[in-house]
Amino acid sequence: MTTDLETIGMLRDSAARYADDNYSFHQRWAVLETPEGYSRKAWSDFAEFGFLALRLPEDDGGLDGDAVAVGAIMEIVGARLLMEPLLASSILGTGLLLKLGSDAQKFALLPQLADGSLVLALADEDDAAKPCVFADGRLSGRKLGVLQGDIAGKLLVSAQDAATGEAVVMLVDAAGAGVSRRTHKLVDGRGAAIFDFDGAVAEPLQPESGTRADAALADIRDEAAVALCAESLGIVRSLVHITTEYLKVRKQFGRVIGSNQALQHRMVDCLLLQEEIRALTAAAQQALAGPAAERTRIVSGARAYVVHAARKVCNEAVQMHGGLGVTDELDVSHYFRRLMVNAALFGNRDAHFGRFVDAALAA
Amino acid sequence: MTQELRAKAERLRQEVRDFYATVMPADLRDKAHRHQVLSKEDYVGWMRLLDKQGWSVAHWPEALGGKGWSPLERFAFEDELARLGCPWVIPFGVKYVGPVIYAFGTDAQKQRFLPGIKTTEEFWAQGYSEPGAGSDLAGLRTMALKDGDHYVVNGQKVWTTYAQWADWLFCLVRTDRDDKPQTGISFLLIDMKSPGVTVKPIRTMDGFEHVNEVWLEDVKVPAENLIGEEGKGWTYAKFLLKNERTAGAIVGWAWHVLDRLKKHARETQVNGVALIDQPLMRNRIGEYELRFMALELAAYQAVTAMVDGTENGSEASLIKLRGTELYQEVMETLVEALGAAGVAVDIATLHSAGLPPLGPDDTGGILKDHFYNRAATIFGGSSEIQRNIVAKVVLGL
Repeated sequence: MTTDLETIGMLRDSAARYADDNYSFHQRWAVLETPEGYSRKAWSDFAEFGFLALRLPEDDGGLDGDAVAVGAIMEIVGARLLMEPLLASSILGTGLLLKLGSDAQKFALLPQLADGSLVLALADEDDAAKPCVFADGRLSGRKLGVLQGDIAGKLLVSAQDAATGEAVVMLVDAAGAGVSRRTHKLVDGRGAAIFDFDGAVAEPLQPESGTRADAALADIRDEAAVALCAESLGIVRSLVHITTEYLKVRKQFGRVIGSNQALQHRMVDCLLLQEEIRALTAAAQQALAGPAAERTRIVSGARAYVVHAARKVCNEAVQMHGGLGVTDELDVSHYFRRLMVNAALFGNRDAHFGRFVDAALAA
Repeated sequence: MTQELRAKAERLRQEVRDFYATVMPADLRDKAHRHQVLSKEDYVGWMRLLDKQGWSVAHWPEALGGKGWSPLERFAFEDELARLGCPWVIPFGVKYVGPVIYAFGTDAQKQRFLPGIKTTEEFWAQGYSEPGAGSDLAGLRTMALKDGDHYVVNGQKVWTTYAQWADWLFCLVRTDRDDKPQTGISFLLIDMKSPGVTVKPIRTMDGFEHVNEVWLEDVKVPAENLIGEEGKGWTYAKFLLKNERTAGAIVGWAWHVLDRLKKHARETQVNGVALIDQPLMRNRIGEYELRFMALELAAYQAVTAMVDGTENGSEASLIKLRGTELYQEVMETLVEALGAAGVAVDIATLHSAGLPPLGPDDTGGILKDHFYNRAATIFGGSSEIQRNIVAKVVLGL
């Protein structure tokens, strides 16, 4: 599955143009102040543009988008700090449903995902003290940090099947019986939730293809890592641009601060990190379709490097903006907070670095 | 970049590996494997071997005996040679002055010099840096004053690599006393046998003599040895520097020493546990692996941009900065990991094939390389100059 470059170019251009016209930093303030933490208007516009059907097969009216297509959208999500649940629902929730859902499950849910009427969040991170277990048709346990679980209509929950000991993925109504949801904001303004399942009604995803849940979960976790690399790339490109421009206008001691070699050299290092992030992200996108051992090495390596590199760039951006850099009023601090969230979700830097080292030194 | 071009570069890598295994003389391979000191004869033999393969000037246009290699093929070639641990491809003739001569020289100059460069019949050195003009090359003061049909050259060059072996020196000189720093500079070819040329080797911290001072006292140089026009030397020098900075070898060298480090860490036990499984060393090697992956991918991205003509101007600097930083750090770790053998001055085995080295066979001369390459962030445009360039050219600061 390779999305053609023309489609990817159109995706990128239309998302960027939409953000230019409707999602400026000032327009975004209003979104931050809504209780749900995203723009319903933007969400329905995205549905109309086909962004929500990015991953759907063409037969279902989708774009059949591959990792590069996902990356094109995620780069804009990062560059403009979009708040809508594109990653949580349209990329990860939908992606996992496509891999593991039965035909009937997909038939029921895909249209609602494509038109935006359903937000399907991925609940994958167990509370180690209360792992999720599926027994006798019921789900019990606790999931933490479910990105945009606050606005989700349904959830895909990874669990262990008590009968077989194997991984399963459960489809659960987020407001169903036996489900209690504690919502909270993340530092970047998006919502999340902690879910307690106490004998919740849950329906396993059972694909006719026989795809195993553990394999599909491994895939979707890698896809999350790669999508976050692309989001970080968008963030870093914005930060490098904003900060370079600031260095050209901010004056101290009677001259622009960008004329100081110390700052010039640090800014160059930020640019080098940006270029490395770009190269690693592209390689990780290619590796998703490649052989397993190589995939682990490149995807987790990219994720570990990018998380760290992006935060280095962002720390420099804050520092070079001086006091302004830590204000709520300036976009730099919003990028800072988004990167904090990205570093905490879907496997942190150490977890990915550990996977990378084991894969790289296995030979 | 096309699939066809990628396949061509991959085939070239395989040819290089085959050449290393079957064509390269065993004694030279052994010396390189052990990082031993190479003599002028070794280097000249090596360059001629490359010429026989059609590789010494493969990046030149086909009409001049090259193969018109794309930046990708050139990168693949240099990278693969370096990964195998082959000797340095001496760049002064084939890579630096050769292209300047065919791009800006007269027909007579091309006929006179290019064949000898291709075959290393004549050994070249680069007369750029001066005591007062290192990174700030435009500050050079060596004067070449026209006197009839020749120039009279007076001045001093420094850090001139292998000037003690050179037949010819390509030299930046000042032909006009009054011009602005960059406009009075010309590009002159000087016969090292000319009266008034004195070479004085500089001993570096490895104990060897790779670089020299070159004194020029009333040296008579025929006017026909001027390249292009008087006063345009800076343009030619910039053209040359662009070639200098396309170095793909640094990625391969970094790979090579990282490979040596991993091999040593696998083979060395400390308290019954292989060094590579000791958490601190494993973490360190893992970090290097990750940085190498970033370097390799960014270098490939940079070369792709060169092929596609979409460079932003940071590409070559990125490769050099990241490559040299990583190379130096990995080498430092390797020398440390070798313990006492890493700091033993083992001169005898650096020169002799018969003696067993004090440490592992394939790391015998690593200390020498470690010293030499401490200068990698200084020569060929220091790291600071690279950052200055990117700040100006790409960021507009």
